[in-house]
Amino acid sequence: MEAITGSTLRNMLLYAGAVLNQERDRVNSLNVFPVPDGDTGTNMSLTLNAALKEVEKVDSDEINRITAALARGSLMGARGNSGVILSQFFRGFAEGLTEVTDSMTGADLARALEKASQTTYRAVMKPVEGTMLTVGREAAAAAAAAAEENGAVVHVLEAAIKAAAQAVAESPQFLPVLKEAGVVDAGGQGLLCIFEGFLKGIDGKPAEYVSEPAQVAPEPSRKEGITRIEGVLVNKYCTEFLVLGEGLDADYIRTNLQPKGESMLVVGDEKVVKVHIHTDHPGQVLEFCGALGNLSDIKIDNMQLQNEKYTEAHNHDFFGNVVEFPNRPSGEKKGVGVVAVAPGRGLAEIFMSLGVDYVVMGGQTMNPSTEDLLNAVESVNADAVIILPNNKNVIFSANQVRELSSKQVGVVSTRSVPQGITAMMYFEPDEPLEYNLEVMDQHKREVKTGEITYAVRATVAGDLHIDEKDIIGLTDGKIAVVGQSVADVAHRLIETMVDEDSSVISLYYGENQAAEEAEALYQELSEKYPHCEVEVHNGGQPLYYYIISVE
Amino acid sequence: MARIHVVTDSGSDLPQAVRDELGIHVVPLSIQFGDDIYRDGVDLSVSDFYARLEGDVMPSTCQPSPADFQQKYLEIAEPGDTVISVHLSSRLSGTYQSAVIASNMVAEDGIKVVAVDTKSASIGIGLVAVAAAQGVKAGLSLDEIMARVNYAIEHMHVFFVVDTLEYLRRNGRIGNAQALLGTLLNIKPILTLQDGVVSPLEKARGKAKAVKRLQELAAEVKAKYPDRELAVGLTHAMVPTEAQVLAEALQRDLGMRENVIIGFIGPTIGVHVGKGTMALLMHPKL
Repeated sequence: MEAITGSTLRNMLLYAGAVLNQERDRVNSLNVFPVPDGDTGTNMSLTLNAALKEVEKVDSDEINRITAALARGSLMGARGNSGVILSQFFRGFAEGLTEVTDSMTGADLARALEKASQTTYRAVMKPVEGTMLTVGREAAAAAAAAAEENGAVVHVLEAAIKAAAQAVAESPQFLPVLKEAGVVDAGGQGLLCIFEGFLKGIDGKPAEYVSEPAQVAPEPSRKEGITRIEGVLVNKYCTEFLVLGEGLDADYIRTNLQPKGESMLVVGDEKVVKVHIHTDHPGQVLEFCGALGNLSDIKIDNMQLQNEKYTEAHNHDFFGNVVEFPNRPSGEKKGVGVVAVAPGRGLAEIFMSLGVDYVVMGGQTMNPSTEDLLNAVESVNADAVIILPNNKNVIFSANQVRELSSKQVGVVSTRSVPQGITAMMYFEPDEPLEYNLEVMDQHKREVKTGEITYAVRATVAGDLHIDEKDIIGLTDGKIAVVGQSVADVAHRLIETMVDEDSSVISLYYGENQAAEEAEALYQELSEKYPHCEVEVHNGGQPLYYYIISVE
Repeated sequence: MARIHVVTDSGSDLPQAVRDELGIHVVPLSIQFGDDIYRDGVDLSVSDFYARLEGDVMPSTCQPSPADFQQKYLEIAEPGDTVISVHLSSRLSGTYQSAVIASNMVAEDGIKVVAVDTKSASIGIGLVAVAAAQGVKAGLSLDEIMARVNYAIEHMHVFFVVDTLEYLRRNGRIGNAQALLGTLLNIKPILTLQDGVVSPLEKARGKAKAVKRLQELAAEVKAKYPDRELAVGLTHAMVPTEAQVLAEALQRDLGMRENVIIGFIGPTIGVHVGKGTMALLMHPKL
């Protein structure tokens, strides 16, 4: 029986985080839609990173305590649908190991995987095969069979990985959309990465990681600009490079760099060492390593500026701007409050003007975490709070908040910004939560949503052949129009949306769309549709030239 | 023989033809633009008023004085007569208060004045005045007439759509309507009067939707009183075409060609709601 200890489990988890982080972009690129939303890898990676931070805080090597922290951390940090499912996976994983403290056997692992799989199936209302769910289930089944014949954790894990890889490869057979797009399921691939990380954590370089787990925690996700950092950032230069040479000693490098920063990751062998560190002295770091060998692939990012750029573009800080939002409740208690997710500054202002109490910036590629939403809900001065996710990939996280908050929380499952705006039209702060949920839900579909963005890769969608960089128009989440210019696609898309009952067309233009062009489109549409009132607003959202509503 | 007279104020927005036909007297409120003071309907026309409303000077209204009412009561009534004096919601204007004071003043002249707080505005007051005047015309007793008047007040349904909440806001008549937000988008608030105070009812995206919603709300009222004849008033602030389209739709939907009164929203109400407003008021008849 080759069981493993808690410290090895830590190492497995850290490696899983590192592998997933490494593979993030590749997982992102597996998005079925060629829209620049490909966020499954980012979401899963951020969720796992949040979980690992929780794991770091555990001051013992008891297995059940580590996995409980993993479950708790991933639940709070869950971003996007894939992140939420992953958090449920870890929740089940932890449940399967509740009684395990000092040593985990292959049978324990198999049971944890089985429990994890069951939990993910329970978490989704309509389980779809060919996804992360299938991959988890196949892995669990193979693990159980393997544990019968040989109790070694490595043996069980290898069997699970083999089955998971096969399930990922076969995912297009279950899901025609994957086949059409020529990709495998992104969430399934992400889970496979995690399993592969587990294996590396067992037979990789255990000593290296076990000795100083806190320092090797992979958290370069900060440089994504998604983590909000307030005030001045300490260790603001994210510094990454390779050291090439002979007889390199990763331990020696690590020991010497440790005082210079944080979030350090030093891995490699005698010939190549990869260094990642957040530091205020990138020059000293380079100087030190440059003396040991040749430096290569040097990348230094100022996270503070990235963060400010992000803040400027997406406006995290405007909530303090009381003058601009006089209608923001100044501590006055409301019957029912509202938290809305909005992908741009202009859209946030519109939501505030409609009576939303707190806007969480996000949507599309920047799915807010369950914790972001929870914090927003807690900050609203009301005992009952409605969340408007305004994006299909945020609905799941929003629902998680219902379990976590001490308040009465309801979610109106708005799948787009226009649906959220329409739902707000029916919001009555003095009516009870249940009334508002019913009425808002009932009316949210009265509006048609159009979105215009560009294709991140070539693909085929139904009868449409799409090349990379083509402009694509989507209605209610489906690709409807492809073209070369934004204005042309906008016209054709809106033609498919407007009918004789339509009376209002609203254009919310994005941060990459010139205001003059939006104004010109507004003029053209006003003439083209005399029976409709046309409105144009600066939405400020990234990636999407226009978000359009027709009602 | 003692007679019963009906008096209202210029907030009632009753068309001249209706007033003439039923013999309804009107006491004007005054409208003040800076130092210029006008009497509504006497020396200020509706179109002149809205032209000036767009200007820089923000107008205000002033209730008639008790003396204005006293003068009107003495002018129309003989000792022994009764005056039913129906007015703007006492929570929106002091007009009713002036009428009450004037009623005490003319009591010593042998004139009985029944001052009525309609808790309404615009044609809502007008419809109450019409109910009273029709009772007079039918030769009903004061008690019978007052039963109709009170029934109309209690069962009045008020819906109005404004182009902007700005006028209500700056005149402090918005009540809890400040809860209605959405100035960034083209949102048309549908408002009502609750206990005589402006109160938000719904919101609609764009005027067309708001007007369509008015139609639906009217149909809901009709459905509520399936066996009753409805009295309906529709007033508008300088949007005659939209009002005409809505009136035709109502007459078609509700089958009440005869009794839709269409009027202008005059300066008294216009100061508070602004151009583009449409108001639909209705009550079942007793």
